[in-house]
Formats: sequence, structure tokens, C-alpha cells
Amino acid sequence: MRLLLIEDDDTLRDSLAAQLAEAGFGVEQAADGREGLYFALEYPVDLAIVDLGLPELPGLELIRRVRGEGKSYPILILTARDRWQDKVDGLEAGADDYVVKPFHFEEISARVNALLRRSGGWASSVLKAGPVTLDTTRQELKVNDEPVELTSYEYRIIEHLILRAGEVISKTELTDRLYDQDFERDSNVIEVFIGRLRKKMDPDNSIKPIETLRGRGYRFALERSQSG
Amino acid sequence: MISSLGTRLLVSVGVLLLVFFGVTIVVLEVAFRGAAEEYQQDLLDSQLMALLAAAEPGDDGLVMPPDLPEPRFGTPRSGLYAELRDADKQPVWRSRSAIGMRLPRVAAGEPGRQRIARLTLEDGTPVMTVTLAVNWEFADGDLRAYTFHVTESLDSLNAQIAAFRRQLLGWFAAVAVAMLIAMSFLVRRVLRPLRQIETETSAIEAGERETLSADWPTELRGAARNMNLLIGSERGRAERYRQTLDNLAHSLKTPLAAMRAVLGEQQAGDADGRLGAQIDRMDDIVRYQLRKPAQLIGGSGLGLPPVAIRDELGRLADGLAKVYRDKAPDIVIDVAADAEFRGDRGDFLEVAGNLMDNACKWCRKRVEVRVSASEKAGRRGIELTVADDGAGVPAEFAEQLLERGTRLDESAPGHGIGLAVVREIAANYGGRIESGRAEPGGAEFRVWLYAPGG
Repeated sequence: MRLLLIEDDDTLRDSLAAQLAEAGFGVEQAADGREGLYFALEYPVDLAIVDLGLPELPGLELIRRVRGEGKSYPILILTARDRWQDKVDGLEAGADDYVVKPFHFEEISARVNALLRRSGGWASSVLKAGPVTLDTTRQELKVNDEPVELTSYEYRIIEHLILRAGEVISKTELTDRLYDQDFERDSNVIEVFIGRLRKKMDPDNSIKPIETLRGRGYRFALERSQSG
Repeated sequence: MISSLGTRLLVSVGVLLLVFFGVTIVVLEVAFRGAAEEYQQDLLDSQLMALLAAAEPGDDGLVMPPDLPEPRFGTPRSGLYAELRDADKQPVWRSRSAIGMRLPRVAAGEPGRQRIARLTLEDGTPVMTVTLAVNWEFADGDLRAYTFHVTESLDSLNAQIAAFRRQLLGWFAAVAVAMLIAMSFLVRRVLRPLRQIETETSAIEAGERETLSADWPTELRGAARNMNLLIGSERGRAERYRQTLDNLAHSLKTPLAAMRAVLGEQQAGDADGRLGAQIDRMDDIVRYQLRKPAQLIGGSGLGLPPVAIRDELGRLADGLAKVYRDKAPDIVIDVAADAEFRGDRGDFLEVAGNLMDNACKWCRKRVEVRVSASEKAGRRGIELTVADDGAGVPAEFAEQLLERGTRLDESAPGHGIGLAVVREIAANYGGRIESGRAEPGGAEFRVWLYAPGG
């Protein structure tokens, strides 16, 4: 998942970007409104985090322009202005949620995850597809009501796949989800994780949750039980 | 002092009219009397000449014919009398009109010179007398002195003057009344801009207008412009204060956010969470202290336009629907038609936003927002009820939540700063907040807000 973080305070931006990267997101950073708008319109973005008090171009205006250009990915507002007036203005401009500064990182990651889940078409934080149930709040996976023990890397991969159930996800995208940019990348690792997930979720090979598409990537193949 | 400018002007004009007309009447009467008396003298003079012409020298002095051309000499008490006296001042002849009367007279002057006098008869009638002494030369060359007296009553003259005065008064009174009526219309017309300023000013106080309109007479333009400037700066004051506070809050919160983010990165640096707690505290202080009700940070006392309650609640509901999309609460809004709140829009949003946000947070599926009209000591306002179908607030917790004077650091977790802000705003608008249980279950908060001032 590629996040765009537009925040003018260097310390806050760097620290937040580091924590988001650690949580497995690809993070693009912009320090002012103009640069942010460029990234927001030209780069592939799954979610944008926008500070309202930006130099060059105010955050509200940036959001309006992004929406005006037809971009529909979720936008999370970071704001120090916590009057309802400002919140309502931001939501009306096209943002989907807001976090008031100063925030705990957990707040940001919870909102980001919820927004991504929603943009993937899941209305609830508990994702169900056939016998598979993923509780994104508790980070729990169950198959036929039996809990499946996962490592955090495995969890990230299955969450990503289920969030975008039905879509083909490339290996590169999954690699991005696993590692910070600095890590050495090895595409074989993904194959190993997928193999482990298949074994844990489907030991007798009866439900076949993950489909492999040669040269293209992977797809979570089970039909969604509920959708947004 | 009379307070109305119009009345003042009318009274002044009335007094002026009275003085002006009074003086005019006196002057006109004096002139009229003078002219009339002169005419009277001329008449008497010609009567005297007629008498002189009629007099005939007889054997024994002057003789007057029995019938004179002027018939009034022949009618008793006609008002016109004549007398002829000799040198011994003994009456030689007297007109028939004067029979039985004693005519007052003045001593004759030099022969050939008239003397005019105003006298009164025995019965008090004012008269004018013309006396002429002559030396009549008889045929035998004898010169004898005679005095002719012609007297006329001034009754008719005075009656004429009185009639003239009456007429004058009548006309002047009519003109004065007409002028006053015209003046009062004029005054109303001339003072209309002032009246308009007054109505517009009270409309501004009541919040029905933003500024004074633009089109004023030259004399008022300056005043109207200055007033608009004053109103503008008054109105802007609260907004500027708020901007300043917002900027201050903003410039404090971003560093706080950065500090927290850095702490989050390096958990080891704040192992026991003491720094984190301090940041929380600072955050609470900034949020609470820098978000004062508009009234408190420099409300101008000028009236505010009514808040578009239904629209603002709708905006909040739309915004909250986005934020709580997973839960998708049914937010039901019911605003009574007569509910009106003239106050700061931001304050209203703050109150409704905090309560509705809490309700969305704790509800199962349904949030109800009701607004009805309320009145307190002549101040119009609203009662805002926000109810949810959640678990409700435990009684002792609610008590603590709403206890007056609850300090910031004691304010309840979960509802936290939001309710403290609502309580403070409500108190500032002369209202209060109450909590209770909603039917059939869940929390219900009721807030009363009243328009500032009267």
C-alpha cells in the first residue's frame, strides 16, 4: 500500500513516515502543498495523509483539487485546528476522516487501516470470505472458526490479499508491504510466505484461498461474504 | 429637554411663527390705523370746507342754511356734528345732528389754521374734531372772528380697524396652521434618514443586518461610514481573537505531535510514559484553554444573525457519517420550525459537534438530534437534545461529568474535553447541560443555549 504523507513539520513528517514504513506501508513524503499536490495527482497513491496548515497551498484547497481531478482514494486529515467548523470544512472538501494533533501513532495506523479496508470495499473491520474470517482490529485470522497462528509478516500479506480480495496483487506490491525500502529484496521470500499461509489456512487443500497467476501475482480467490 | 428632534424642530418653528406673525400683525395694524386716520382727517377737512362754503354773511353775522348738502348733519346723533362759534366762543349755530349734545372742543388756534384733536363725548364715544378759526370779512368791511368745529365719531373707524385685525388674525392663524402641518411633513421627510439609521441600527443589534446601507444624505455619510467601520471592527474582533488563538494552538500542537511521534519511535526513551503523560497534559490544556466560546474571547454585544440550525446539523451529520462509515449510525435530525438561535455559528457547531460525535461513538445504531425553542428571561434560545441507543452513562459518572467547576484534569475520560467545552459554551450563553437516560436506553444530553443580551 502506498501512502502519501504531506506535512510541513520536518520532525513530525520524518518520524511519522518512519513509523508508517515500519508498519509496512510504502510512504511518499511531501513538505508543502504544491509538491504534495503534484505527488497526489501524478503518483500511484492508495491513501493520502494531509496536514491542513500547509505552506504554498492550504490543505483544504489541495484536497478539493485532488477530488476535482477525480482521485477517489481515501484522504486522512491531520489537523491542529480541532474546531468542528474546521473538521466539517475538511470533510466537506472531500476528506474521509481526520486526526487531531497531537495524536498517538496507533490512532493514525488504526484510521489508515480502516480507510484502506473501506476503500477495498469492506464495510466492517471483520472481513469474511467463505470459511475465512479476518478481524483487522484484533489482527486475528480464523478458518472455520478455528484461530490460525500467524507471524506478523504472514499477517500483513494475508491482510493485504483479503483487503483487495478479487484483485491480482503483484509480487512487488507484496514485497513493498513487507519491507522498508532499505531492506534487501528477494522475491522468493513472498513465495515462501504464500506457501506457509496456504499450509496454515488450508492444510488439506480443500478451500484453496490463494490463487497463483503465473507472472502476474496472487489473488485471494474466495467470494466475499459481505461488502460495503 | 424634548427628546425627539422632530418635536423640537416643530416647537421651535411654532414659536418663531408666533413671534413673526405677532409682530407682523402689530405693524400692519399700526400702518392701517395711520392710513385710516389720515383719510378720516381728509374727510373732516372737506366737511369743514363745505361748511365754510355754505356759510352766508347775514345782517347780524354769519348764517348757516337750514339744510346742508351732507345729510348726516341733518340726522340727530348721526355721528357727524358741526358747530359755529363767534368770537366770544358762544355757539352761533349747531348742526341738527348735534341737538341736545354737548360737544367737546379745543381752543381755536390762529385764524386760518386747522387744529385736529381726539376727544371723547360725554357718553365716552371717541371722536375726532377739526377746528378752524377764520376772520370773516363782511360787506361793510367789518372783520369778525368765527370758529368752525366739525366732529365725527371714531366708532366706525375703530370698527373697521377691529374688523381688519380680526381678518388679519384669522388669516394668519390659518396660514400658521397650514405651515405647521407642512413643516411636520417636511420634518418627517428630512428626518427620515435619521429614522432609518435608527431602524437599521436596531436591526444590526438584533442581528438582522450586517451593516448600514450605503445611500445616505451628504450630512450623514460620514457618520454612517464610521459606524460601519466600527461595526466591522467589532464584528471582526471575536474572529481575530479566535484566529490568534487558533494560530497559537496550531503552532503549539504540531511540535507536540512531533514530540509524541519521536517518543513513539524511541519507546525506550520514555519507558515509564512520564514524558507521554506530560504531552497529554499539555495537549489537554491547549485544547481546552484555546477553544473558548466566542462570547468569552471578545463578543461584541452586537447581535448575530440566526444560526442556520438545520443546515449546520446536516453538515455535521454528513461529516460524521463519513467518519463513522463502518457503524453507519442513523442520525435523525428534528428541528422545530420556531427554533431560533442567534449566536456564534462556531460555538453552535462546537456544542452540537461534540455531542453528536459522542453519540455516534457510543450508539449502537441510532442517534437522535432534536432542537426546540426555549426562552429564559426574555432571551430566545434553543434546547438541543442528543440521544443515542448505546449503553448510556452511569449516573455517578454523569454527575461527575457535569458537576459545576469540574477542573480540566478531573474531566471524565472518554467524553473528556468535549463535554467540558460544551458546558463552558452553554454557561456562556446563559444555558446549561444536563445528562440523562434516553428512552428506551442510551445516553441523552440536553443543552440550553440563549441568544446573548436581551
